[in-house]
Amino acid sequence: MSARKRLLIIDDDPDFVEGIQAILKAANYEVEAAYNPKEGFQALQTKHYDLLLLDIMMGRGAEGVMLARKMRKDPKLREMPVLIITGIREQIAFLFPGEPVHPRFVAVDELVEKPVEPKLLLERVSALLQAAAARKARTEAGSTRT
Amino acid sequence: MEDRYKILIIDDEEVVLDACTQILEGGHYEMATAMDGAHGLGLIPEFRPDLVFVDLKMPGLSGFEVLEKIRDVDPTIVAIVITGYATVNSAVDSMKKGAFDFLPKPFTPDELRLITRRGLEKRRLVLETIALRREKEMLREHFAAIVSHELKSPLNAVQQSLFALGVELSGQLTAEQRNRLERCQSRVDDLLQLIHTWLRVISRDIGKLRENFRPVSVPAAIAKAIESVQPHALRKDVALQASAEEPLSPVLGDEGTLVEALVNLIGNAVKYSRVGSQVLVKAEEREASVLISVADTGVGIAKEDLPFIFEDFYRGQSGGVETGSGLGLALTRRIVEAHQGAMAVESEPGQGSTFVIRLPAFKPLILESDALAESQTGGIR
Repeated sequence: MSARKRLLIIDDDPDFVEGIQAILKAANYEVEAAYNPKEGFQALQTKHYDLLLLDIMMGRGAEGVMLARKMRKDPKLREMPVLIITGIREQIAFLFPGEPVHPRFVAVDELVEKPVEPKLLLERVSALLQAAAARKARTEAGSTRT
Repeated sequence: MEDRYKILIIDDEEVVLDACTQILEGGHYEMATAMDGAHGLGLIPEFRPDLVFVDLKMPGLSGFEVLEKIRDVDPTIVAIVITGYATVNSAVDSMKKGAFDFLPKPFTPDELRLITRRGLEKRRLVLETIALRREKEMLREHFAAIVSHELKSPLNAVQQSLFALGVELSGQLTAEQRNRLERCQSRVDDLLQLIHTWLRVISRDIGKLRENFRPVSVPAAIAKAIESVQPHALRKDVALQASAEEPLSPVLGDEGTLVEALVNLIGNAVKYSRVGSQVLVKAEEREASVLISVADTGVGIAKEDLPFIFEDFYRGQSGGVETGSGLGLALTRRIVEAHQGAMAVESEPGQGSTFVIRLPAFKPLILESDALAESQTGGIR
């Protein structure tokens, strides 16, 4: 109905990014990639995206988690939907002993495991985008009423 | 590690110190002496002895106190007590305080040399044990991280690209090509599943497996395992034969990993079988246990390898051409142990091997009727 949605993917494995990007592009999304958290955060601050796909395990550990936490503190980025794509489930016990499921890194996140099947990926992406749009509409309706 | 062993002698009699030093001098040790406990203890952090001789009866700190302090500083230091009043009581007491042995005065040079050698041998073993234990811990701790990153990342990237190809080429592929692509995906998926299982079993929280325990039919698990090994067996012309006693109790467990354990054993049996031979898989119930045996008539396992085959990364010395990760049996053992079971093996080189998994039989009517009820209503994941 509207302009193409812009997505950003932050993951340190270019080959994996390529696979994800191809699926999303085929579904008519505009996709940019950043290959480390620093570059990724810069892109988030300077450009506009509708959704972030984030790898949790980058660099020397859970650098993706740090990025997600930073986003939560940023008033502009706080509302951006984040889809976490990661092989983290195996490492979760090792990272967060005693946690049966992954902690909710950011308020609006959703987690899928690598590798992610095209159908599932597209479902999640569109669901998150819709939820974000609905939330935005609600806030706007709320602010016009007051 | 060409360091010489260091020996510290604490005794208030100078004669004893001199005698000991002289006797041990030819043994390539580095020696230090102290006339009392306080002085001796003061030397320890700097000198870092491997072995300490302590006189029990000294002015100032007693030998017992010295022993205790040594143990506080470094429990790996081997301490031997010297004393003039060789009573059983003081020997027992000093052993309780951590002494390795006891040398009554007067002693002959040979007695001193002998006990020194034994003490140092003990020290060597202690240090070696610590090093090995640390290595094992490191291996275990790093394994999960290494496996998930180094092995899974490339596979994830491959699989994701295969997925992408499937999307991009949809409608352009012939049925054959599509089938080939799907088979690539399914093989990569198998590999990823395998890595998941390894991680689950090798990382410490085997207990997590237990969260999904439900009654499992053993013949069904065997059938699944055989189905999975069958292609390999066909290629090698090895016949897989299964039989199960009836009736047979189910076992309480996680079907996926039990099948995995059986696949490992049956796959191994095929791997080490001769072309045209048979592998027999048998399930039977004895007392409160279900026994699953996998027997081949293949190359067998050398006697010297047998004690080690269930250990991580162990591969037989006499194995010949077949190779493996050395993890299969270790993994199988862990799976079985997570199910409160045990494994045994009998093997004769040249005659073949029989592996037996023993699992507790599940008796739903006597106990745990809830678990059965849950399994009947179909578990909700």
